Amino acid sequence: MANNPMSGHPKHSRGQQRAPRIGLYDIVVMAAISIVFGVLYLLWIFFGQFVQAMLGPVAWGILAGMWVLAPIICAYIIRKPGIALIAELIAAGTEVLAGSVNAGVVMLLGLTQGLGAELAFALFRYRNYRLPVLMLAGILGMFANFITIYFVYGYDHLSTLIVTFQLVAMLISGAVMGGWGGKAIADALGRTGVLNRFALGKELREESGNHGLS
Amino acid sequence: MLESLQRHDGWLQERNPVVKLLVLFGVIAVMLFVNDPWTPLFMVGLAGLLLRLLGAVPFKTFLMYLAPFSLFALSFLWIHTFFPGERGETVLFTLGPMTIARENVMTGLAFGMRAMVFASWSLLFIMTTEPSKLMLSLIQHLRLPARYGYGIMAAYRFLPILQEELRTIRAAHRIRGLGESGGIRGKWNEIKRYAIPLLAGAIRKADRVAIAMESKGFDDSRDRVFYREIRFTVHDVLYGLLMFALLAAVLYFK
Repeated sequence: MANNPMSGHPKHSRGQQRAPRIGLYDIVVMAAISIVFGVLYLLWIFFGQFVQAMLGPVAWGILAGMWVLAPIICAYIIRKPGIALIAELIAAGTEVLAGSVNAGVVMLLGLTQGLGAELAFALFRYRNYRLPVLMLAGILGMFANFITIYFVYGYDHLSTLIVTFQLVAMLISGAVMGGWGGKAIADALGRTGVLNRFALGKELREESGNHGLS
Repeated sequence: MLESLQRHDGWLQERNPVVKLLVLFGVIAVMLFVNDPWTPLFMVGLAGLLLRLLGAVPFKTFLMYLAPFSLFALSFLWIHTFFPGERGETVLFTLGPMTIARENVMTGLAFGMRAMVFASWSLLFIMTTEPSKLMLSLIQHLRLPARYGYGIMAAYRFLPILQEELRTIRAAHRIRGLGESGGIRGKWNEIKRYAIPLLAGAIRKADRVAIAMESKGFDDSRDRVFYREIRFTVHDVLYGLLMFALLAAVLYFK
């Protein structure tokens, strides 16, 4: 495993006080990740809209957890306040720049889902990034998505039973696909060594170091 | 296709991106209060007409972009018809144990059309706004910190490179005997195999670009001047005022 011993930008290790500033370095890396997911989201929207048209809103709900992957992965890697929200806004922005037909609603959803995921990390004062917190971020992000489409697409006119089923499907999907899946992807990325400058990379290196000693 | 529309020398193309963005959000906000299918129909038509007259986008192109989305919009029709909160009273016909009521069909139609309004006004925005102009306008008019604007634009440039990289990774896997496998499970494993190297490559590239940008002083520590100033003119004020007057009228007469 290529473990790069050269650690951290001097600029970034200095800024580790109360509220670490999100620097250019964080932004470009976060943007690169979010842009990849933005393209993935766009493909997923086509797939999701097809599924909704054929199988209905509950089936769509099962797929929905995909849309909170970018904020969860970026927050888990970089671990600074605001990352989840900004990552989701960039991912939504990518969909718009790539020509999403539903740009307006996509941006709205990016904002609310980002805020939802961000809330989970804020609740733990940006100190806890373990699996349960990531899953909570997925759940809150999906809940925010649900509230948004509830008003945007008039779910109050629908049968309560269907809407409840959809909400449950979305929350489970957010926890599993978003929280658990996001952690799996980020950990796999961390093991390649490209994240060594970030909080996650440092944590992974410490873990493997301890195993080596014991 | 999209790019040549965005670069066209039309009146809508010249409007300030932030103003167009505000109009788009205004349309979405107002439509939340409209519950009949006819007002949305008018709004969709208006978007198509504005694009044709002021943006030189042919109706055919507009409809072509809208067509795949209409499948999604149509889904609201059957969802609202089959699973309504309360069944309407005017029964149209019965389908097995299900009664189909006129009120529910109309509600479904209204929400399907609402989705079409969102799509058509989003198109009005996308088809007439160059991505880099939007970013510059966000920096210049909404005071988005420059490190965000330029950082995101730099990363956005990776997209074509990443496409190329995906081809390389695929070829590399295939030459080692990890070919394309069938079945859902096989497809899933394949995605996993491609995703990590692709993301790792993107992060490495971001790493290098960020260092290059920082070494050129691309932080927010100084006042910035712009090579390309996005304009904000009387026409933009006029466009914004007219659109919001229209939206107020829609809200009043709905």
